[in-house]
Amino acid sequence: MRVIFLLSLFLSLVAGCSETPQEESVLRQDYASLENLARGTEVRWHMWGGSAQINQWVDTYVAGEMKRLYDINVVRVPMDAPVFVNKLLTEKAAGKDTGTMDLLWINGENFKNSMQAGVLFGPFTDRLPNFAAWYDPQKSAHDFGYPVDGFEAPYGRAQFVFEYDTQRTPVPPATLAELADWIRANPGRFTYPQPPDFTGSAFLRQIFYATTGGHEQYMDGFNPDLYAKNAPLTFAWLGELRPYLWQEGRTYPKDAAALDTLFARGEIDMAMSYHPAHAQMKILEKTYPDTAKTFVLAEGAIFNTHFTAIPFNAPNKAGAMVLANFLMSPEAQLSKFKPENWGDLPALEIGKLDEAQRQAFDAVDLGAATLGADALSAAAVPEIASEYLELLERDWDKIILGH
Amino acid sequence: MKRGIIHGLLPLLLPYCALFCAGLTLTLAQSLGLFLPLGSGEGTLQHYQTLIQDQGIRQSLGLSLAVAFTSAAGSVLGGTVLALALWRMPPGLRRVGVVSKVGLILPHVAVAFLVLLLLSRTGLVSSVLFQTGIISSPEEFPNILHTGSGLGMILAFLLKGVPFALLLIGAVLFGFDIRLIQTARMLGAGPLRTFWSVTLPRLLPAMHSAFIILFLYAFGSFDIPFVLGESRPGMLSIRVFDIFFQRDLSQRPEAMAILTLMFVFAAVFAMLYNRFAAYMDGWRRKL
Repeated sequence: MRVIFLLSLFLSLVAGCSETPQEESVLRQDYASLENLARGTEVRWHMWGGSAQINQWVDTYVAGEMKRLYDINVVRVPMDAPVFVNKLLTEKAAGKDTGTMDLLWINGENFKNSMQAGVLFGPFTDRLPNFAAWYDPQKSAHDFGYPVDGFEAPYGRAQFVFEYDTQRTPVPPATLAELADWIRANPGRFTYPQPPDFTGSAFLRQIFYATTGGHEQYMDGFNPDLYAKNAPLTFAWLGELRPYLWQEGRTYPKDAAALDTLFARGEIDMAMSYHPAHAQMKILEKTYPDTAKTFVLAEGAIFNTHFTAIPFNAPNKAGAMVLANFLMSPEAQLSKFKPENWGDLPALEIGKLDEAQRQAFDAVDLGAATLGADALSAAAVPEIASEYLELLERDWDKIILGH
Repeated sequence: MKRGIIHGLLPLLLPYCALFCAGLTLTLAQSLGLFLPLGSGEGTLQHYQTLIQDQGIRQSLGLSLAVAFTSAAGSVLGGTVLALALWRMPPGLRRVGVVSKVGLILPHVAVAFLVLLLLSRTGLVSSVLFQTGIISSPEEFPNILHTGSGLGMILAFLLKGVPFALLLIGAVLFGFDIRLIQTARMLGAGPLRTFWSVTLPRLLPAMHSAFIILFLYAFGSFDIPFVLGESRPGMLSIRVFDIFFQRDLSQRPEAMAILTLMFVFAAVFAMLYNRFAAYMDGWRRKL
């Protein structure tokens, strides 16, 4: 008898976690009533937690303002994007209609995977007043070549830069050819994170563009023939330089943090980041020397937009939409842009702002290590469709790593 | 009697079996292309075929086996030698054995970071040698963590494994009836003969258990390889993690197929090893 009782208790624990699903009516309400609905609730924002500075910005500025303006408690949950996507897939498979995540920080492959598996809620961005007021829908219509369709709200931009130390390298390479010469002249002083790490994979795409004649040809979606024709050039370039890399290219840093450590300790002379103000942040943290600087290659520097999205089973969809809307506001974008807070590039159209706000954005000093907005936008090239990315990562494994 | 035990254990066994079997079944099903978040939903053996043809997987398997075997064998050997040394000490001095508890208490990942912090080229040992002028540049410090042979991981596993083996083997040794040895000596056996014929046979079961636990743990472990592993060849567990979390969803069955094969290997290995140990035991008794 006791056994049966325990068994039924166990089964009810496993199965009993679902409640009645929240109705989809949040999409039909106007924004003012959404705000009312969200007042006094809690929003659990699941996001990458690898940067102490970003975490602090969310915990102080975002949480404080959300409490002050809407009486919403923002709870930051640190979790890597692939992990929460996976959690969503499992919840969907298990039929769990009320999840635990309200808002996600997401982009790229993770967004594509989530859309294909149908685990996101939306389209919702057309309901957000800040999106309509300050954003260019065209610019955030695609995420790594995958149509966004209103399922994610843009909230920041990042661009790929190389990092060096003027003390050790007075003049950085300006072109891809000069970079290759530099690597050959300084054996063991260059490496990149092992793809599929985010930064390492971005470096790979950077080299793919630069060795195969620019990004324009890849912009009309995925073309397998084009990839088959061009990819050998990229892998020839990487393969030829492999013996001159750190540890002779036998092994690679596991992720961007490991690369930063090698650079900070002086084991290598060049690092890279998908975040233009990263070097400045590291200088302020006292991990990098004050003489650290950044550069981009003449062949271009990839940029991407990062987004927020709402899971299909978010318990507080209204609150999530209010937070997504707040993150897109000029105030939040400006605060996020300041290097002492985060230094993340704004996703909104500065041209749409009024004069005073525009000046506030212009006045932000990203620090001596960060390139100016003009240098960055002159080099900016868009991201590639994720099919290319997956093939590049797979072939890097086979050809460069020799798996 | 036996029924009674099973009934008593049922409240614990049921959830355990349910969760374990459900996980195992799902892994197996997904490795065959079933119950996937994406995909056709038709069963296929294609993912196993991909694995068998993959040169890199063979290298990873080789590395995982080599690291697991070396670290487990080294731990058992080290643990036995230390246990014997401790056993021979006067009882007052035996307390120094407490030091070994440090290795037991530290989590694997902490031990991995300890090895990384101490032995990397710009690590503590290298810095001390450089500052004292014994080496003239950090490049002269041996490249212990990047030899391509998993040496760093083996060192970390040894740091955890030796105290564990010491604990298991020491427990047998300290409960050992000293009169057996005295009898052997009185009957004229030398110290070597006594060890070989009296002490060792009683330690063997504990040594076998320690070996199999440490071997299978190291074979499937994730934390130490994640911190200390290299890109090529990567340990199997790291490849599973990469495929599962960082690649396209369509590659997920491959990760599940590796997991299934690892599970089958572990089960078969444990079975065969026990047979082998029993056979060796019987063979020794005949001698």
